[in-house]
Amino acid sequence: MECTTQKGACPLRSLPFYPVIQSKAKFMLVDTMMLFLGSAFEVASKYVPELKAEMADWNDGRRFALGVLPDGPSITLEKRGDLVKFLGLGVQEPHVAFFFKNLDAAVPVFVGLNSTHNGFAQGKIMIQGNLAYAMEVNRTMTLVLAYLFPIFAFKHLFKAPPKLGVLGLINKAKVYMTLVPQAVMNLIAIMKK
Amino acid sequence: MLPNYYQFFSPIKILSGSKAVSNIPYEMGLLGCKRAMVVTDKGVAGAGLIEIIKSAFADSDRQIGFIFDEVPPDSSNRIANKLAKLFEKEQCDCFIAVGGGSAMDTAKGANIVISEKSDDLLKLQGAENIKADLKPMIAVPTTAGTGSEVTKAAVIYNEEANCKMSFVSDKLYPTMAVLDPAMTATMPPKITATTGMDALTHAMEAYTCLQKNPVSDVFAKGAIELIRKYLVRATENGKDEEARLGMANAALMAGVAFSNSMVGACHSLAHATGGACHVPHGLANAIFLPWVLEYNSDKVPEYVAELSGVLGGAVDYLEAKDQAMVTVTLVRNLLVRLNQISGMPIRLRDAGVTEDKLPTIAKLTINDGSLILNPKEVSYDDALAILKKAF
Repeated sequence: MECTTQKGACPLRSLPFYPVIQSKAKFMLVDTMMLFLGSAFEVASKYVPELKAEMADWNDGRRFALGVLPDGPSITLEKRGDLVKFLGLGVQEPHVAFFFKNLDAAVPVFVGLNSTHNGFAQGKIMIQGNLAYAMEVNRTMTLVLAYLFPIFAFKHLFKAPPKLGVLGLINKAKVYMTLVPQAVMNLIAIMKK
Repeated sequence: MLPNYYQFFSPIKILSGSKAVSNIPYEMGLLGCKRAMVVTDKGVAGAGLIEIIKSAFADSDRQIGFIFDEVPPDSSNRIANKLAKLFEKEQCDCFIAVGGGSAMDTAKGANIVISEKSDDLLKLQGAENIKADLKPMIAVPTTAGTGSEVTKAAVIYNEEANCKMSFVSDKLYPTMAVLDPAMTATMPPKITATTGMDALTHAMEAYTCLQKNPVSDVFAKGAIELIRKYLVRATENGKDEEARLGMANAALMAGVAFSNSMVGACHSLAHATGGACHVPHGLANAIFLPWVLEYNSDKVPEYVAELSGVLGGAVDYLEAKDQAMVTVTLVRNLLVRLNQISGMPIRLRDAGVTEDKLPTIAKLTINDGSLILNPKEVSYDDALAILKKAF
């Protein structure tokens, strides 16, 4: 990403209002990816047994949020029964929240060029709230990303690349097939608000 | 390897040396403070260490407003709330925390309550929940291990939920750390050994975890060098002033290192073992350190290997994985030596842990925040396997 913006896209810098365009583009990219991530949590919680098992001990109504500081995109999710519900945009009184410190920290993670654990190590992601909950959410995030990103990206994205197996691949296909309709439904719900 | 990006922050003034505590009233003046609340525990007070602090104020217009010596070994939110009320009632304007991690963390907890104008510490637990600037805090460690005098974290027991709460914020750094060998001279050999191993664990995890950076590496290696030189000496002879000051500096340097690069699986296991079985933190770290270094060795062999040189065991022409095992062996040798001198247990079963508790500890381990920066993923099964080896 840095290569693209610093070298490949250099001619774009001469465009009028380039910084504004660049900033808006990053915002829209992260905003869109967050919508997909929130939707991926919803569909994965229906089909992925490991995710259900991980969340089995969570109290009903536990909320977690993901956002970009200071005023970037953000989403909130909630555990309801054995499913995850996408509550929409904004940070809505979560028990724990993960914040990227800026858009430049968020973009590489959302396009699969940086892992979340590297984000933490580089101080680009901060946790606000209950740390034990944060660890549980982080494990579910890892699972969801494993069902969202292609397998060839795993080695780069995870400390221990998950092994999906045949059933895992079938579930991954289910997640892919239902992700876009779920994201469209969530988008409509957001627009209605 | 240089990280793509890193941060380093350590805004603490350090006073180190013989009679360093005598400078506290002068330093209070520089901070604009007049009336200090001393926070300590009965053990420290009973050992006469508060008298050393009091004597520093004898010819000063600065005052000790109140001495709070009721800090228990695992300080709680109730104690921190009580201390906050006393601080305001006694019209104090700064804290002097004298003791180990518990006294310092209690002062930090009370400081949070006062500065955030809250009525209960519980409401502010977690990471980055503190917005207000805290009152000045002078930390005088009486053990050489926790590094709490230079860290941005506090761990306080939640009496309602029966668990330990973590507070992490850049606001939590003490204003000043005062290292005086007289303050650690009375520490018994076993405590010297376990707290020293705590410092070694801080330094080694800081050097091998994901958030390591060139600046924290310098502090980590410096701490390990001092520990190699002074830990056995200080354990054997508590009156050895040079060894005591060396270990106090080692603990501080390890604290600076891990406050910036964080710790990993060893601390997660130690926090969990402390929570489930009340094993002292330093002792738990000492027991787990070689097993965790061994576990991480196949992921970051070069980092573990580099530490063998600092520990005095570098061997030429070895592959990184083999050299890493030399580091592990050197740590094991040190543990055996400390066990012989002080009787410090080196297995979980000798530290009061029963085998039936291991699954509970493993479950707590994977929910501990320190795990996020361990170089190698640790699942429940991995944690249980390490616990069984250390048992």
